[in-house]
Amino acid sequence: MTEQTAQSEPQPPQSATGGGAHDLPKDAAHRLEELEHGLFTSDLSVNEFLLVKEAGFHPLGFVMGSSIYHIGIQTRKWGESQELAKLTEAMYTARELAMNRMEEEAEELGADGVVGVRLDVNYYEWGNDSAEFIAFGTAVKAEDGTSYRNALGKPFTSDLSGQDFWTLMQTGHVPQALVMGTCVFHIAHRKLTQALGSMGQNVELPNFTQALYEARELAMTRMQDEAGRLNASGIVGVRLEEKSHQWGSHTIEFLALGTAVTKTSGEVTLPKPTTIISLDN
Amino acid sequence: MSIDGATTPDVRAEMLKGAQSLATPAPPSNARGITSDLSVDEALLLHAAGWEPLDLVCGVAVVSVPVGVWNWGRGAISLASDAHDAAVDQAARQLRGECSKVHGHGVVGVRVEVAVRTHHIDVELVGTAVRPMDGKDPRGADAAQAMPFVSDLSARDFTLLQRAGWIPVGLAFGASFVYAPRRTAGAAMKQTTQNVELTNYTQAMYSARESAMEKMQRSALQVGGQGVVEVKVTEGPMSFARHAVGFTAWGTAVRLMADAHQFVRPEVVLPLDDAVVTFEAESLRGGGGGRRR
Amino acid sequence: MRGEPGSGAGATTGGGAASDLPEAAVRRLESTAFSSGLTVPDFAACLDMGLQPVALVQGFCVMQWGWYGPGSGYMRGMSPYSGGEQTPGAYSEIYRCPHGYVSNEHRMWGQNLEQPWVEGAWAQGYGAAYSRMLEEAGTHGAHGVIGVVDRVSNVADTGTTEFHFLGTAVTVEGGPPPAGGVPWSTYLAGQRLTKSIEAGFMPVAVVAALASVRVWAYCMTEYYMEGTMGWGVPGEPRLVEQVSKAHMAVRQLARKHVRQQLAGDELHGATIDVVTRELSQGDEVVDCTLRGNRVRRFKDFDQVVLPRPTVRLA
Repeated sequence: MTEQTAQSEPQPPQSATGGGAHDLPKDAAHRLEELEHGLFTSDLSVNEFLLVKEAGFHPLGFVMGSSIYHIGIQTRKWGESQELAKLTEAMYTARELAMNRMEEEAEELGADGVVGVRLDVNYYEWGNDSAEFIAFGTAVKAEDGTSYRNALGKPFTSDLSGQDFWTLMQTGHVPQALVMGTCVFHIAHRKLTQALGSMGQNVELPNFTQALYEARELAMTRMQDEAGRLNASGIVGVRLEEKSHQWGSHTIEFLALGTAVTKTSGEVTLPKPTTIISLDN
Repeated sequence: MSIDGATTPDVRAEMLKGAQSLATPAPPSNARGITSDLSVDEALLLHAAGWEPLDLVCGVAVVSVPVGVWNWGRGAISLASDAHDAAVDQAARQLRGECSKVHGHGVVGVRVEVAVRTHHIDVELVGTAVRPMDGKDPRGADAAQAMPFVSDLSARDFTLLQRAGWIPVGLAFGASFVYAPRRTAGAAMKQTTQNVELTNYTQAMYSARESAMEKMQRSALQVGGQGVVEVKVTEGPMSFARHAVGFTAWGTAVRLMADAHQFVRPEVVLPLDDAVVTFEAESLRGGGGGRRR
Repeated sequence: MRGEPGSGAGATTGGGAASDLPEAAVRRLESTAFSSGLTVPDFAACLDMGLQPVALVQGFCVMQWGWYGPGSGYMRGMSPYSGGEQTPGAYSEIYRCPHGYVSNEHRMWGQNLEQPWVEGAWAQGYGAAYSRMLEEAGTHGAHGVIGVVDRVSNVADTGTTEFHFLGTAVTVEGGPPPAGGVPWSTYLAGQRLTKSIEAGFMPVAVVAALASVRVWAYCMTEYYMEGTMGWGVPGEPRLVEQVSKAHMAVRQLARKHVRQQLAGDELHGATIDVVTRELSQGDEVVDCTLRGNRVRRFKDFDQVVLPRPTVRLA
């Protein structure tokens, strides 16, 4: 079992256009300008809209970022379990590009942060080996003028819903950024003799167990490292997703996502909850 | 949200009263019976907010798409977007017409169905026309007469927003269609082994999305909205032309009618149902996701 | 649950005297244990309201479409010149071609036509199944039927349609027998029925109607729908008026037919289903079904207080 320790630190994203501050399309610029004149858009539900207002924020606009990334071929050994580092890097970079563009849009609007971020991956028939990575969310700004930007001076991002955002603020914490760690792992195919040997038995498959365990750990560690770089107190709402995308069943991407938060000096204002028994089905 | 407070003292007595009312044949009535697709909860909430349902109303439009529009070309497919906008406009106009006929001030709970086919785009809107029981429209007397609002908010969300001082003013809608860009054979070969962003493609898709959003914003401004809530975005290749991709964005345009936003001050509750436990386990495995409505 | 609906298919035996219920139904209903289609919470809500379930009842009917079956002149797309009689009062709209003489295939004349014979046949099938269910309920002395489930399906390629109703017959404790001996009925059950009663609405009946409009396309409609080039067809999007009008009309007609059955009562929880069958050359048939609960107000609204908004910690 090889372990790619050298690749445990993903490289900073390199966009083909040279990256950096202003690679948003023209249409985005028009749209954001319109939003700055007072119209707000949001994909928050009415419940979430009302709770975001309760938390003292106002929605500014629906923001998004997208990137179509070609995911190259990476050769792998059929009988070995290993991380496919090139693919890991690609999946991470593509999402970073999309998220960065979304943050740029939020910055254009002068937002304090983005809530309800969703990351999606789309496949199109005409794009072999490529996928579109999209990040959506609603940019918000504090109504009392306090800045809620994160430790790096950028608008915070979080995949918390409006309800969770309100609840989090009541506990005296603020979101910093959506942090993610990813690992694309190839699981060794078992040799025929091994497979025949254990046919019909209830037995743990040590290869699989070890491989999948490692992969998940890698993903989660990378996610925690990102949070560490922001000097966050912790991560909430952690989600671990597994996808095979278009690679077949022996290659899986493990994606760990969460929102890094820090404690503010405010006290906990969450009122004591009433317990109820809901009689709805 | 469950209906508040004390259940009516005696449901049995009510049931008995109801059954007895049927036993005697009803006096002939000239009332124009209302039809509504609201659930009982929604009807009650509307009443609590001082509005009443009037009638089920619809608007449908079929607009043709000129021939050859879907053949592979470059850039935006503006004729398709035009057809789409025309269909939505016409359907909304029909819907408002039906609403005015029953003296409604607006339509809530509109279900929006858009079908893009090879030669035509069909739009269907179905909702319930409503009006304020005391006749006082928060938009002002003139506005009420001029143009009924159309909103895809459920009656429940409508009531919540009203309470917070906001009112829907119309449906905001935008769509854009685009051809997938082509890669030259040489570029395609070179990119096979690299992990790299495809800038042409990115620009094309990104632009098309932004364009749909921009049109949605413009339509919100046109009806006098200050904001759009519950934006929904759909995207995908056309089933009959997979090299053409369509993006639509729509939501309800709203306006603050009160002097300031009225805070709702929610109460925090902790339900003791077992259903809660399974929700938590699922969310860890990525099933529940981060969004909760 | 009972076996396949097909097992009781419309086959009526000599059975009971005046009724046309299948013999198996009569046997089942004579047994004393009750069965019901209610879930546990619904059952609890029933007892709360003073309703006692007495039996699971159903009604069934299969109709043949003489006009729709394979081989009918109707489906072969014969023009309205030779088949469709103009029923007085039915919706009809004529479209004329703006061109001069073009060719023998050019469709100079088109029409949107309501099809009352289709609507009538559907109403007959639906009504028969529905009244059989109420009849089964009546034999058990029930006052009403709750939790009605209705299903209309076309048996593929045979030109027949099945109508199937299922519901739970109940009696109201201490209540009077229903007027005219016909039990009331509703789609609702359980908590939702409780809320409806508390709000002052008594269920009367389940109501549904089908409206059907046939589009005989004229030249312009054909060109738009089929995407034909040339001959004055513009290179920009155009509203296809004939088809749009047909769709609006079918929905309006469905509401009109349902309203005729309301007799001043209200319709709640309405659902609209529209099925469009595209035939060749721009022709199509649009069928719209509207269903809902007919209810009657028996008291004024109590003052309803807006509920408290809450956030769940879960």
